[in-house]
Amino acid sequence: MAGLTLKNVIKRFGALQVIHGADLEIEDGEFVVFVGPSGCGKSTLLRMIAGLEDVSGGEIAIAGTVVNDVEPSERHIAMVFQSYALYPHMTVRKNLSFGLTMNGNPKADTERRVAHAADILQIGELMDRRPGQLSGGQRQRVAIGRAIVREPQVFLFDEPLSNLDAELRVQMRVEISKLHKQLGTTMIYVTHDQTEAMTLADKIVVLRSGRIEQVGAPLDLYDDPANQFVAGFVGSPKMNFLKARIDAVSADGATAVLASDPGVKITLPISGRPDVGSSVTLGIRPEHFVDAGAGDADLTVDVDVAEHLGHTSYVYAAVSGEPLIIERPESRHAGSQDRLTVGVPSRRCFLFDAEGQRLR
Amino acid sequence: MRLNNRIAYAFLAPYLLIFATFWLWPIISSFLISFQNTRVNPWRFAPSMNWGRLVGDPAFYNALYNTLIILVIQVPVMIALATVMAVFLNSPLLKARPLYRFAFFAPVVVGEVAYAAVFRLMFSADFGIINKIIGTVGLSPVSWFDNGTAAMALVIMAVTWRWAGYNAIIILAGLQSIPGDVYEAATLDRVGKVQQFFHITLPLLKPIILFCIVLSVIGTMQLFAEPFLITNRGGPGGATETLGLLLYRQGFTSLNFGYASAIAYTIAALAVAISLLNLFFGREAK
Repeated sequence: MAGLTLKNVIKRFGALQVIHGADLEIEDGEFVVFVGPSGCGKSTLLRMIAGLEDVSGGEIAIAGTVVNDVEPSERHIAMVFQSYALYPHMTVRKNLSFGLTMNGNPKADTERRVAHAADILQIGELMDRRPGQLSGGQRQRVAIGRAIVREPQVFLFDEPLSNLDAELRVQMRVEISKLHKQLGTTMIYVTHDQTEAMTLADKIVVLRSGRIEQVGAPLDLYDDPANQFVAGFVGSPKMNFLKARIDAVSADGATAVLASDPGVKITLPISGRPDVGSSVTLGIRPEHFVDAGAGDADLTVDVDVAEHLGHTSYVYAAVSGEPLIIERPESRHAGSQDRLTVGVPSRRCFLFDAEGQRLR
Repeated sequence: MRLNNRIAYAFLAPYLLIFATFWLWPIISSFLISFQNTRVNPWRFAPSMNWGRLVGDPAFYNALYNTLIILVIQVPVMIALATVMAVFLNSPLLKARPLYRFAFFAPVVVGEVAYAAVFRLMFSADFGIINKIIGTVGLSPVSWFDNGTAAMALVIMAVTWRWAGYNAIIILAGLQSIPGDVYEAATLDRVGKVQQFFHITLPLLKPIILFCIVLSVIGTMQLFAEPFLITNRGGPGGATETLGLLLYRQGFTSLNFGYASAIAYTIAALAVAISLLNLFFGREAK
């Protein structure tokens, strides 16, 4: 097991810079998830840790040793690929043992490790099959098994569940979480699925355009996002953002008025002093609306579409062209064309300045 | 028959007609001709004449021997060379890849007569560049067209030059279909480049290589142009006469179509048999 340190890590492809000075500390045994939209650089960062991409600047250290110039094979890491990357012509047993055999590992030890991995992943009955004869979930287990037999210091997962169907994804997610508890090894996991990130991670690293936007525990990111991007990325359905302007600043905080409905005034207890009249964005999660009259202000919307999922309902509306989603567990009968009034609790609202930074 | 089917067959009819006339009928006809005595007019049914001659004909065995020698030496050498060329073409380190790809493929599109003429000039005993190069390293010149073994080597070299690039392009397509992350996984598994080639690349290329071998076997069994054009119609003294050339000589020089048909069927049967053997030995273990 080992911790990892990234210091001002930069990656360039020719003139194009894709990672802009990433700094990160990963503790020994931690489960860290890199999350962000497509093209944000999360897989590139993972591949740089693996040694499959060169580091253009900065330092990557594993267990205190800088590995920038260390061959991938010597970094004591194992990686599970999105496409599984199994050897298609080899049986599952051979897939698991191939690396060890090629490196002259004693046969008895190789067999012990393979049996151990097969036992953990319950793939014992698949050992003589080839990848082509396995389902997606089984292939994923074999790919994880191949990583386990290496007994690495760090496991790297590159979107390992994205090729699986929804049900299997949930199942494998639970299994990966169990595996982490069982092995206690440092794991770095890349995904664009924030549900995976929230459920698996000890620590989430949110990336955008090659920059780390925020690092923190899942609920810290949910409760206390550093900026509008993180606020919008963490949580499903995503946070609503409504245009507003600062109407007044007092000892109690700042009062924002919705651009779409000047009657809606919300005072947020922030200590910062934004300029009166400045444009801001008010953020509130769909699940944080309350009954009309129960919040600090009421908001009335015309319902476009309502989705009733049984345990809850999502109401889709637009406020002066801005999309709005409201989660109303008890509103099972709202339909399009209805008018709906909900309460907005100021303590669950966030304010972001024109650059998208959180006003606190 | 449903209307849709009739319309479909109507559209297919021109092709089927041409196929039946110029492909199917000649196959059937030549099989029937192989049982005829075609050295008399009119032809007479004589089932044992051509097939009986084939079994005891030294010229046939000579041509068969030459063809098999070329097959056994040239096909493995060419496929090995093509594999190396494909790996070279697939290397990310290679600059101007399309240029090399074209260069390797170009021999196939060069006219047979033109390339044969160039080979004859290059291997000319007196003023050919090959003998000049041989001379510069202190070896005596080789009579490429008068020495049977040298002539055979020349045919093998010419065929290899012509078809290695073609096979390399097919193998390259196979190489490019192997996902890059399989190699990345092997790299992380601490498997070296050479081990990756022998344990991952070659096994995954096996179906493509087998396909190339089958194509090459069929091509070699029909080999005609090189011994005809380069080594003077299978010379010296029949040393490079192949089954294809023997067929041509019997059919179009001696006008003995019955015997030529029997040879043609023998060539086809041998090609099928050798290809099946290849596929049998190259099959995936269950």
